Amino acid sequence: MKAEAQVLKGHLDTLLLASLENGPRHGYAVKQALRTGSGARFDLPTGTIYPALRRLEAFGLIKGTWSDAGSRRRRAYELTPAGRRRLAGDRAAWRDFASAVSAILEPSQ
Amino acid sequence: MTSPLIAEYVTGLHQSLPAAIADEAATGLIDTYQDHLDSGASDQEAAHAALAEFGGLTMVVNEFTRQAPGRHAARLLLATGPIVGACWAAALTLSRAWTWPLPSAARLSFGAVLLLAVLALALAASSQHSYHRTRLTAAASPILLALDTTAVAAVLLDAPTLTWALGTAVAASLSRIAFTAWSLPRIAAY
Repeated sequence: MKAEAQVLKGHLDTLLLASLENGPRHGYAVKQALRTGSGARFDLPTGTIYPALRRLEAFGLIKGTWSDAGSRRRRAYELTPAGRRRLAGDRAAWRDFASAVSAILEPSQ
Repeated sequence: MTSPLIAEYVTGLHQSLPAAIADEAATGLIDTYQDHLDSGASDQEAAHAALAEFGGLTMVVNEFTRQAPGRHAARLLLATGPIVGACWAAALTLSRAWTWPLPSAARLSFGAVLLLAVLALALAASSQHSYHRTRLTAAASPILLALDTTAVAAVLLDAPTLTWALGTAVAASLSRIAFTAWSLPRIAAY
């Protein structure tokens, strides 16, 4: 699981962007989406999701907005046009990489 | 009403991070705690589980610090600083800048202020545990902007001829001005 966490760290930005592809989410919902979407394999400490979201926001890839939900203020994030472009690029690069690795690991008989 | 353990953690967040960032992280922690309560855990169990799931306070603060926009910008400015400096050193030497009509006090003040800005950037760039220290970049950036603008203005006003070397140095400073002006609002906002 430790090794998996290291690999996950290298792809965290892309996974965070992908988790926001279908609409705005706040930090805890992003963490839940990663956990659910990966079948509980990607279970990062919740506290590390927030710094990464803030960094992506500073780079203009996502945009955060405060809202009042019940008794607590929440900050929901959504993709910016630059974030959508970055996600599309990362996705294409991942497909290329994955198909190249598959071609080596699982050569056709 | 939350558990004293959660309240203590939230206080720690507020002591170590800017208010808006601490508020957001605290909401995430309380959501986690609430989720455990909703799934039937006792108050103590829910607090312990939420803290374990959220991560230790030191780790979370260090992670915010490591990813702070001010730290990132400071590292970039320090990494590119020697290139900009080398461009200016070459340009001023080739142009015999010591013969320009600039008062010595102005030259010394420029150097001293530049040194202070570099020191502030170095403190911000090397911060590993203090988010507040990364915000020194927000203080150093306007100084750098002013210094680059002054250097460019001095060349345009006082250089007898605009050589290719001076042009390169001016271009390097203009690039840094553009980056600093772009990054400053982001750094100030966090």
